[in-house]
Amino acid sequence: MKRAVPCSLLIAVVLTACTEAHDATGRGAHAGFCEAVLAQVDSFMATVAGDRPGGARYGGMAVVGAPAELGGMNAFAHGDAGAVQHQMFVNLMTLVRYDEKLEPMAYLARSWDVSEDESELTFHLRDDIYWHDGHLTTAYDVAFTYLTAVDPRSGFPNPAFFQNYLPGEGGVEVVDSFTVRFRLRPHAEYMDPWRTVAIMPRHLLGDVPPEALARHPYGEVCPVGNGPFRFVSRSPGDRWVFGANPSFPPELGGGAYLDRYVYRVIPEQTTLLAELLTGGVDVHVAMFPNHARRAEAEPGLRVLSFPYRSVLFAGWNSRVGKLSDPRLRRALTLGVNRRQIMEGIHGEQAVLVNSGIPPVHWAFDPTLGDSFPYDPGRARDLLEAAGWTDRDGDGIREDPEGAPLRIELIMNQNQERQEVAEIMRVQLREVGVDLGPRVLEFGTLMGRITSPQRDFEGVLVSWEAEFRLDERDLFHSEAVDGLWAFSGTMDPVLDRHLDTLQLVVDRASAIPVWHAYQNRIMDVHPNTYLYSSYRRNGVRDRLRDVVMDARGEWASIREWWIAPEDRRTP
Amino acid sequence: MGSWIPEFAMAMARWVQAVLPGLPHLLRGRWVEGGAALSLWLGLLALAVVRFDRILQAPGGRLDERVALLTLVLALGAVWGWSWRSGAGRGAASEEGEGNRGGILPGGWRAFRKNRMALLGLMMAVSFYLAMLLTPFLAPFDPLAMPAFDETGHASLRLAPPSPSHIMGTDQYSRDIFSRILYGARISLTIGLLAVGISVTLGTFLGAVAGYLGGVVDSVLMRLLDMFMAFPGIVLLLAVVALFEPSVFLVAAALALTQWPFTTRMVRGEILALREREFAEAARALGFSRVRILMRHLLPNAMPSVVVVATLGIGNAIVLEAGLSFLGLGVPAATPSWGTMVDHGRAYLLDAWWVVTFPGLAIVLAVLAFNLLGDGLRDALDPRQGGTVER
Amino acid sequence: MLLYAVRRVLGAVPLLLGVATVVFLVLALAPGDPASVYLKPGMSPETLEQIRRNLGLDAPLHVQYGRWLLSFLQGDFGQSLAGGMPVKDRILAVLPNTLLLASVALFLAFAAGILIGVVQAVRQHSLLDSVLSGGSLLFYSMPSFWLAIMMILVFSVNAGNVWGWPVSFPPSGIASDGHDLMGPMEQIRDRIRHLTLPALTLALVLAGGIARYVRSSMLEVMGQDYIRTARAKGLPEWRVVWKHALRNALIPVVTLMGVYVPLLLGGTVFIEYVFAWPGMGRLMVESILLEDYPVVLAGTFLFGAMVVLGNLLADLLYGVVDPRIRHGHG
Repeated sequence: MKRAVPCSLLIAVVLTACTEAHDATGRGAHAGFCEAVLAQVDSFMATVAGDRPGGARYGGMAVVGAPAELGGMNAFAHGDAGAVQHQMFVNLMTLVRYDEKLEPMAYLARSWDVSEDESELTFHLRDDIYWHDGHLTTAYDVAFTYLTAVDPRSGFPNPAFFQNYLPGEGGVEVVDSFTVRFRLRPHAEYMDPWRTVAIMPRHLLGDVPPEALARHPYGEVCPVGNGPFRFVSRSPGDRWVFGANPSFPPELGGGAYLDRYVYRVIPEQTTLLAELLTGGVDVHVAMFPNHARRAEAEPGLRVLSFPYRSVLFAGWNSRVGKLSDPRLRRALTLGVNRRQIMEGIHGEQAVLVNSGIPPVHWAFDPTLGDSFPYDPGRARDLLEAAGWTDRDGDGIREDPEGAPLRIELIMNQNQERQEVAEIMRVQLREVGVDLGPRVLEFGTLMGRITSPQRDFEGVLVSWEAEFRLDERDLFHSEAVDGLWAFSGTMDPVLDRHLDTLQLVVDRASAIPVWHAYQNRIMDVHPNTYLYSSYRRNGVRDRLRDVVMDARGEWASIREWWIAPEDRRTP
Repeated sequence: MGSWIPEFAMAMARWVQAVLPGLPHLLRGRWVEGGAALSLWLGLLALAVVRFDRILQAPGGRLDERVALLTLVLALGAVWGWSWRSGAGRGAASEEGEGNRGGILPGGWRAFRKNRMALLGLMMAVSFYLAMLLTPFLAPFDPLAMPAFDETGHASLRLAPPSPSHIMGTDQYSRDIFSRILYGARISLTIGLLAVGISVTLGTFLGAVAGYLGGVVDSVLMRLLDMFMAFPGIVLLLAVVALFEPSVFLVAAALALTQWPFTTRMVRGEILALREREFAEAARALGFSRVRILMRHLLPNAMPSVVVVATLGIGNAIVLEAGLSFLGLGVPAATPSWGTMVDHGRAYLLDAWWVVTFPGLAIVLAVLAFNLLGDGLRDALDPRQGGTVER
Repeated sequence: MLLYAVRRVLGAVPLLLGVATVVFLVLALAPGDPASVYLKPGMSPETLEQIRRNLGLDAPLHVQYGRWLLSFLQGDFGQSLAGGMPVKDRILAVLPNTLLLASVALFLAFAAGILIGVVQAVRQHSLLDSVLSGGSLLFYSMPSFWLAIMMILVFSVNAGNVWGWPVSFPPSGIASDGHDLMGPMEQIRDRIRHLTLPALTLALVLAGGIARYVRSSMLEVMGQDYIRTARAKGLPEWRVVWKHALRNALIPVVTLMGVYVPLLLGGTVFIEYVFAWPGMGRLMVESILLEDYPVVLAGTFLFGAMVVLGNLLADLLYGVVDPRIRHGHG
C-alpha cells in the first residue's frame, strides 16, 4: 500500500511526459470547429428572422417520441432509418422528393434533364437555398457529396446506390454554380439515390480526410443543414431540438409552420405510450399493435397506419445439408399458419407476402398473395417424401440415420419476432419439426449471418427494401459469397431475371419481369416469407395535416401545424 | 354409566390428533405452526385427490413427474411425522431437546421460532420450493401450449382476464399464466440457488483461506476484492450475458461473480475474529493441524453468518435475474422465467395488466420470503441483537 | 486527514486501471463486432472493412488497448464508436443527471429510512413495528423496474386521465420540451415534477434496507447504560431518543453510505431506462450492447472512482461523527 502511491504517480508522470505532443486526430481543432460553426448559424439566423411569415398557422412546438436514438445528420456516416429521414426532410435537403405516386418531383433541384440514351443526367439547382450559416448551396456541394459517397475510404454505407454511375471524377461534372451533370450507365430507378442522399456542405466538410468523416463532430454536435428546420441543440440519448428556418424559400412553402420540433428518445414503449396518452408527446412513432388499438379508442388521438416497405421472413441457409432440399423449405412454409400469425399480431394491418417485394411497391404481384396457404397435410407429405419420418414416436421426424429434424432459428431481441418464432415453433411441432428459436444480440446475430462461415440454420429478419429494389445481393450467384446472401441460392433463372431488371429503365417494361421473378422465387423457395406489416404512429389531434405514408413518417413535417389555441404554453 | 364416554372421547381425540397433523398445536394455542401444518396437510391431500389421475400416471412419466410424486409422498410423511413427534404429548421436553441439539446454535432456533416474520419467510420459501417440485401436479395447463395458434385456433383465449378456469388469466399466446408462473419458479429459483451456491462456496473458501493465512495471500485477495467491489456489477453482468450467449448456467455464474466479494469479506472478518478466541488458541496449543482447526473449529462458527448472507443473496439474485430478463438479456425465451414473463408482457400492461403483474408479484413474494428468512436468521443468530429492550 | 484522503485516492488509481483492463478484455473476447451496428442491407464487405478501419477497430488488440491507455492517461477518453463524439462529452452530458437522481434518491431514502427505523425501535414489537417492517421489506424486495412501471401506471397515466387527480406526474424525461422557454420559477417546478417519480421509486426500494439497519442500531444503542442514565436524570423521552440515542446510532449508519453508493449507481440503470432519464446507467447499458468500448471503459473507470470516493467519504464521515476515532487518525 505504501509503495502503490508513488508507483502510480511515477507511471502517470512518465507516460504523460512521453506522449506530450500526441494529438493524432487533431481533436483540439474539432472542439473549436463546432463553436465557430454554431456561432455563425446563430448570427445568420438572427439576420433572417424577419423573413418568417406571420400567418395564424405559424408557431407552436411539436414533440415526436420514438424508442430509438438518431445516429446523426452526417449522410456519409449515419444510415439508420430515423437519421436518414431527418436528413431528407428535416435538417437537410435532397435533390428530389417523391410525391404520393412515388414519382420524383423538384426539391433542391429545380428541374433535370436526361439525355436521349439515358447516359447523362443534368440537375439544375435552385439558387435561393442557403445553408443555415449563410453560405449558398451550390453544385459544388452536390459534386462533393457524390465524390465522397463513392469514395471507398469514406465508409459511406450505401455505395451500391451509385454502382451504375461512372466512378470517380468521370461520373460528375460541375457545369456552373447551379448545374451539375452525372454520367451513368442506363439503369432502372436512377433517380432514387437522389431522393435519399442528403447533400452535404462542402465548405464545412470538404477539407476533412474521408476516413475521418465518420467521426467528425459535424454529424452529432453541429449539423449545419439547409432544410426547413435548423439544428438548435441536442442532448445525447435524450432529445434533438430543431427550430424553423426562416430563410427557406417561399416557393417551397416558406419553411415550416412549426417554430420548434423536438425528437425525444424514450426507449421503454410503455412509457412512450404513457407520454402520448398524457400529452407529453404529440407523435408516437412505431407503436405496438395493441398500443395502437388503445390509442385509437382514446379521444384526442388518432393512429396513422400505412403499409411499409419491410418484409418479415425466415431465411433458410441452404448451404446446410438438410435445408438444401427445397421440399423441406416448402414444407416449413406450408406448416406455418402465416395468416393466423399475421392476424393474431397485427389484425388487419398486414399483408401476406411470398417474396421480398413489399406489397406497397409497384412491382408487387398481387395475384401471388394467397399462394402457399396453410396446409399441414401437404407439409407432412412433403417431409415424408424428403425422407423425414418419425421413427421413434417422439413426435419429431428423423432422417434415415436417425438424426432429428431440428432447426435453430436465430433472431434479435425484437418482441414481435420472438412472438412469431414462438408460434412457428408450436405449429411446426404439429408436423414433426423441432424448431429452436434463439435470441441473439444484434451484433452477434449480424456476425453469424454475414460471416463467411454462415454459422446459422434459419434466421428471422425483417428486411427493409428501398424503392429502388435490388435483390442481387440476396440471390444472385455472383453475390453468393457476399454479406447478404443468407440463403446461398444459385439459380440461373433468377440470375437472368436479376440481370435484366438491372438494365430495364421504365417501369411498364419492368413489371412483367418482376412478376416472373417473384414466381421463380416461390418455386426456388429460399425463404419462408411471412408478411409485411403496417407502421403505426399515434398522433394527437391538435397536430394537424400530418400525412404519413411509405415515403416516411416525417415526409410531411413542413406542413404540420398547430392552431394557436392548441399550442402548449411554454 | 358415562365412564366409557370420556375414555372413548379421548381415544377419538387422540385418533383425530394423529390423523390431522397440526391440530394438537392449534389446540395448544401455537397458531402459526399448527395452522401451517394443518393447512399444508389438507392442501396436499386435496391435491392428491384432485389430481389423482395424474398421480397414477406419474411413475411411468417424465422425470419431473416422478420427482413430484416423491415430493408429495415425502411432504405428507414429513408433516405427519413432525406433528406426531413434536405435538403428541412431548410438549416442552421436545423443545429443549431440539434447542440443545447441535450446540452451535444455543437458543438460536428458539429465538428464530419466536420471530413471527422470520417464520413467515421460512414458510413462504418452503412453499415456493414445494410448489416448484410439485409443479407437474399443480399446474392446470401445459405452460407452452398455445390453443390460439394450433390447428383449430381459438383466438378468443388470448389475453383473457383472470377467470375460474384460468385463475391468473392468459397471455398473448393464450397460455395460462398460473402454469407459467409455476414452471417459471424453477428457472428463477434455480438460478437464485445456483448463483448463491457458487458465490458462497467460492467466497467461503477464499475468505477462510485469506482470513486464516493472512499475510501476502490476504493482501492479494483484498486487492482483488476491492477491484471487484469497485466494479459496477451491472456492467459485468451485462457484458457477460449480452455478449456471450446466455444460458441458465451462464446467467447464474455471472450473478455469482457480482456476489462473491461480500461473502468473502464477511467470512474473512469472521475468521479473523474467531482466530483469536480462546477455543482456537486451545486447539492450537493441543497441536491440531491448521487445516483441521480451520475446518472443524473456525468455519462451523462462521457458518451462521454465511447462511444469512446466502439467504439474502438468493433474493438479490432473483431480482437481478429478473432485471437482466427485463433488458432482454436473460435466459432464452422459450423457458418462462419470471423476469422474461415481465419483459414480454410489459407491452400489454395497459390493456392486460395481469400478464405483468402476476409474475412481478411472484418475484416480490419470493424475494420477500428470502429476505424475511435471512433477517430472521440474522436476528436469531447474532448474539448482539434480538431480544427486547428493557424499559 | 487530508493526506490520508489523498493517499487513498491515489492508491485507488492502479486499482481502477486494473478494473478497466478487465472490462476491456471481456469486451474484446466477446463474440460480435462493434462495427456491425453500421451494417445496412446492400452494404459490401469492403465498405464494412473500411468502416472498421475508420473506427480504428482493425488494429490488433494490444495496439487498441495501448492507444486507449495512452489517451486515457492524458485525460482524453477517446471517441465513441457509435458516432465519434468525444467520450468525455458524452459522459459529461449525462453524468449530472445521474448524480442528481442518485443524490436526491439517497437523501430521500436515508431520511425515510432513519425516520422509520427510529419509530420501529421506539415502538418495538408493536403493530406499527410489524407493519412498517413488512412494508419496508415489501418495497425492498421489489424489482425496481416493475415498481417503476407501476408508478407510471398509477401516478402518471391513471392519475391524470382515468382518476382525475389534480396532481399527476410526467412519465419520463428530466424536463419538459419547452423548458428553456420557461421562467426560472417555472423551470425549477418543472424539474422537480420530472424528478419526483424516478427519485421516489429509487428511494422506496432502498429505504427498507436502511430502516432495518437503523432499527437494529437504535435498539443496540437504546439498551446501553448511558441511555438509562439519561432517562434516570429525568430527561424527556423524545430528547433521549433524538438527541442522545440517534446520534450514536447513526455512526454505523454513516458507513452504510459507502455501501449504498455503488448500489445506487447500479440501481439507477432500470429506473433510467423506464423513465427515459438520460443518465450514466442508460449510457452504459446502451454502450455495452453496442460494444462501444471507449464509453464502457470510461464509464467503468468513472463508476469505480465514484465508489472509491463514496467509501472514502464514508470513512471520513465516520471519523467526523464518532469522536472516539477522530483523535486516533493521523
